[in-house]
Amino acid sequence: MQIDFIAILPEIILTVTALLVLAADLALRGDAKQFVNPLAGLGTVAAIIATVALWGSERVTFGTMYVVDDFAVLFKLLFLGTLLAILAISWRYIAEHRFFQGEYYFLLLTSFIGMLLMPSSRDLIMLFIALETVSVPAFVMVGMRKRDLYSSESALKFFLLGVLAAALMLFGMSMVYGFAGTTDLVGIAAAISGETASVPLLLGSVMLVLVGFGFKISAVPFHFWAPDTYSGAPMPVAAMLAVASKAAGFAGLVVVAFIAFEPVADVWGPMLGVLAVLTMTVGNLIALQQRDLIRLLAYSSVAQAGYILIPFGLARTGPGAAVVNAAAIEAVVFYLIAYAVMNVGAFAVAIAVERRTGLRSIADYAGLSGRSPLLAMGMTVFLLSLGGAPLTVGLWAKFAILEAIAVDITLFGIVLAGFLVVNSVIAFFYYLKVVRTVWMDEAPAGLPQLQPGFNLSAVVVVLMVGTLVLGVLPGLVTDFSSVISIVAAG
Amino acid sequence: MLSEYLPVLLLFGLAVAFAVGSLVVSSLVGPRVPNPTKLAAYESGNIPLADVRNTRFSVKFYMVAMLFLIFDIEVVFIYPWAVVFRELGWFGLGQMALFIGILGVAFVYEIGRGGLEWD
Repeated sequence: MQIDFIAILPEIILTVTALLVLAADLALRGDAKQFVNPLAGLGTVAAIIATVALWGSERVTFGTMYVVDDFAVLFKLLFLGTLLAILAISWRYIAEHRFFQGEYYFLLLTSFIGMLLMPSSRDLIMLFIALETVSVPAFVMVGMRKRDLYSSESALKFFLLGVLAAALMLFGMSMVYGFAGTTDLVGIAAAISGETASVPLLLGSVMLVLVGFGFKISAVPFHFWAPDTYSGAPMPVAAMLAVASKAAGFAGLVVVAFIAFEPVADVWGPMLGVLAVLTMTVGNLIALQQRDLIRLLAYSSVAQAGYILIPFGLARTGPGAAVVNAAAIEAVVFYLIAYAVMNVGAFAVAIAVERRTGLRSIADYAGLSGRSPLLAMGMTVFLLSLGGAPLTVGLWAKFAILEAIAVDITLFGIVLAGFLVVNSVIAFFYYLKVVRTVWMDEAPAGLPQLQPGFNLSAVVVVLMVGTLVLGVLPGLVTDFSSVISIVAAG
Repeated sequence: MLSEYLPVLLLFGLAVAFAVGSLVVSSLVGPRVPNPTKLAAYESGNIPLADVRNTRFSVKFYMVAMLFLIFDIEVVFIYPWAVVFRELGWFGLGQMALFIGILGVAFVYEIGRGGLEWD
């Protein structure tokens, strides 16, 4: 039995860190407990170094279950970077609200271990374990505001729907296994392409597997948990669910769709395309009505999931499919990186405003420019970028999707592009509404100056700079994301 | 292809038929002589202490359940390992030590947080 320990070093480091955090939580008392945060941060940095060292290598371990290639490394860096940002915005928030700090950081790290496993999984069982390792700690973290009934409600909703989705997915997986006789993704692809006529039962089970991921990425019609859960959860957890957990869902979806189910891409492609149209339209239209900023961000993240689903709608089989599919994967990866940068930023500002005051409706952001110019600037940049304004990375993210559509123009592709453009315009309406409130409206009297603290300010500044720099030089990421396209051939 | 799943469908049908059949037959054939003891809730032969429907369980029971799970999972993995541990050799021993070590951390944590103190 040979295990390539270098390949799983980032996961090992995070696991050891999680256990250390648990031990530190036992050892530390009172206010000292908050120092588990930098401990977790150190572990994350170590894991990032271990991951960067894996760039460019191709490692296979645990049989063929676990593959570390550039695609996986890019996703792992995305997750670890998000983890670092979330740790920074959690520190004061978690310490002040008297959460069980050690448990929070332990659960957060555990959830991210699952995410690290996701893009490397090449086996249905491994994928399922990764998905559950992401979900189960998240169920608990959502309910961490123990005295708050609203938090309990959101945790229960998240848990029940999550378990239902997991059950459906397992059912689908079991039937896929019954058909292919293997849980290995490449083996499944071979078994499917060996079949000449299409098998309705197989297609049904493929859909069931996709439903499981549809829940994770909160695609319409599996999005009902998202707004309630985001607004009931502690805010750093909401940021983690909206960004990291969603990116993990997409990583799993890419792996399972483009490797295992690639031979039936002409079936799930259009289906996910229709889902993309529904998701962005419904998400944006409901977001227009929101008065609570977190709920607005939740529906906006539903809509963003719709944009990211568009490239999946382009997938196809037959001659020339490899080019189209590779471009689709590239667009997904680039959009996810851009989305992580801008959305974590938006949540960071929301946390800074909510701290101590508990204010979170959009009207409470009136006059933010006077109370804290830095936060106002940050919010503006992040929201404009989410909308896709020029000079921000959001524009290039949308452009990457259009580029993927343009690789081989079809009628369906043009329809998708049309929906993308129309929806971007709708989205601007509600993003700009918040920006107007921040800059133009008079601040209500008696509100204190905001003191976001060093960590939060640093995160906001770094992400703001990142949004703008990538908006001018998207090549900084695309140079890396373009080489990962080989995964489609896998 | 689909026809290969026919036995599964048959099994489904058989399971439903068995469940429904047992209920129907016992309601038709079974004698009905109710008395208070028979109608009372079954608590392993004891006389029921309280009305079960509105009783709320202390959260401490769940703590015990968690402890049980830790050891249960441990045993589930140790049994198959013990069967083949000669073939696995030092590698298997190392893996099992790692596994028990991680479980041990969870156990120590639960004790440290007062999981075994009832009051």
